Amino acid sequence: MTHARRLFWPNRAIDKAMLLGVTGFWVALAFIVWLASPWASLPGPGEVFGALRSLWWEHGMGPELFTTLGLIGHALFLTVVISLLLSYATVINFFRPLVAAVSKLRFLGLTGLVAPFTLMTGGGYDLKIALLTFGMTTFFVTAMAQVVEEIPREQFDHLRVMGASETRILWEVVVLGTLDKALDILRQNLAIGWAMITMVEGISRAEGGLGAMILNQNKHFKLAEVFAILFVILAVGLVLDYLMALFTRLVCPHSVLERVKR
Amino acid sequence: MGPALVLEVRDVSLTLGGNHILHNLDMQIVNRVRSDKTTGQIAALLGPSGVGKTRLLRIIAGLDKPDAGTVIGHDGKSLAAGEVGVVFQHYPLLRHRTVRGNLETAGHMNGLSAKETKDKASELLERFGLAARGELYPVQLSGGQRQRAAIAQQLMKHKTMLLLDEPFSGLDPAALKEVIRLLVEVAHMHELNTLLIITHDIRAALVASDTVFLLGRQPDAAGKPTGPARVQRMIDLVALGLAWQSGAENTPEFARLERDIKDDFRAL
Repeated sequence: MTHARRLFWPNRAIDKAMLLGVTGFWVALAFIVWLASPWASLPGPGEVFGALRSLWWEHGMGPELFTTLGLIGHALFLTVVISLLLSYATVINFFRPLVAAVSKLRFLGLTGLVAPFTLMTGGGYDLKIALLTFGMTTFFVTAMAQVVEEIPREQFDHLRVMGASETRILWEVVVLGTLDKALDILRQNLAIGWAMITMVEGISRAEGGLGAMILNQNKHFKLAEVFAILFVILAVGLVLDYLMALFTRLVCPHSVLERVKR
Repeated sequence: MGPALVLEVRDVSLTLGGNHILHNLDMQIVNRVRSDKTTGQIAALLGPSGVGKTRLLRIIAGLDKPDAGTVIGHDGKSLAAGEVGVVFQHYPLLRHRTVRGNLETAGHMNGLSAKETKDKASELLERFGLAARGELYPVQLSGGQRQRAAIAQQLMKHKTMLLLDEPFSGLDPAALKEVIRLLVEVAHMHELNTLLIITHDIRAALVASDTVFLLGRQPDAAGKPTGPARVQRMIDLVALGLAWQSGAENTPEFARLERDIKDDFRAL
């Protein structure tokens, strides 16, 4: 099959070089569309990169970025601990209603929760952590509890006939056996949390962060600066996503082997 | 006094969701003895699909409790989960561990020391032709290699009773021959080793085993199988001169018995 047919035929595998070429094509196309944009108010690449330079060297974007990374890191840590404990608890009947209830809370919007969470946390950094953790946990628990529920009974029986204790079965089958899936879900939730960051940081701007920064630039209608910050948010998000994927591959090499190339 | 028993299933009954699956099921596997060589036992449990073969396997393995009856091992004591090895149909292995890791985990679970575990895993990998595959993950193995790894994992602890659920399904003739050779080798590693093969492959069961049990429902007046299942027939292949004989499957007696069982199958 020719390279061209591989590119346009459904369910065909392509090699890395080809994938890189296709990616390059789409990036170049996006750049051309941006350059030739019909919207005059949209800042061009030169303006955006100029604004980025200015924000980084003159307006302390570096420390703001680290503030945001610290916030997401803290919230992610709490999310992982709470979500994994709840998800693994689905193997104990007593906790199932609790896990189901937490999962259902994902239908609550964060905006409506600002007031009760402010009363509970007193606002500021704690409020932001609470909102981010809540937002990510409800989705993480939903996905991870499903993974645990779907472990085939055969896997539990397999260890039982080998004489494993129920605690050992929990460790091998539920914790280690689903670790790659937990990391994949964590990766998706990191993206959800990162997408929520501007909204959450905007609630209390005193601590700074990229979210506060973008709202300040928005207020003064500095579009080039807003785009520059958006560019940084996207770039850092992609780097975090890549690092998570790399970590999963390192910790769970079997998960890569199980992916089928069509 | 009769021959020593290595497994006795006595009066086992099971009802699930109002359906009477097994009723007063009795099954005995005797210790085969040959003066000139170590001889384990291979029994096959044949029966149509859905008759309750896997349910019986789970009861013997100690995974499910019957409503009535007991399962007794060679030492005269009831069997519990962990005392009987089981190779399930799809050869489950721990997907996050390498082949060697799978074997070593089984060793740790059964209280072997680190050195014993390592040595035993190496010995089994070698014996089962997996020495070069030890560092691979289960997903990297072929079906046959996966089956061998699953059997080797069950042998990490010396369990005399090994149950195999449909070990012959989906195998080509060459692979089938190899699996039978492997099972015979495992069985005859120890005098008390007993393999109970759950299958619906009549020919493979007759080639591999020394005893065959036919599990099925009783036909009603119209000849339709009905009610709970029990062992309808036990065939002693040693007494018939069809066990342990190379080329027995090419004899007219073997062909006649195979036809006979097929006829029985239709009625069960």
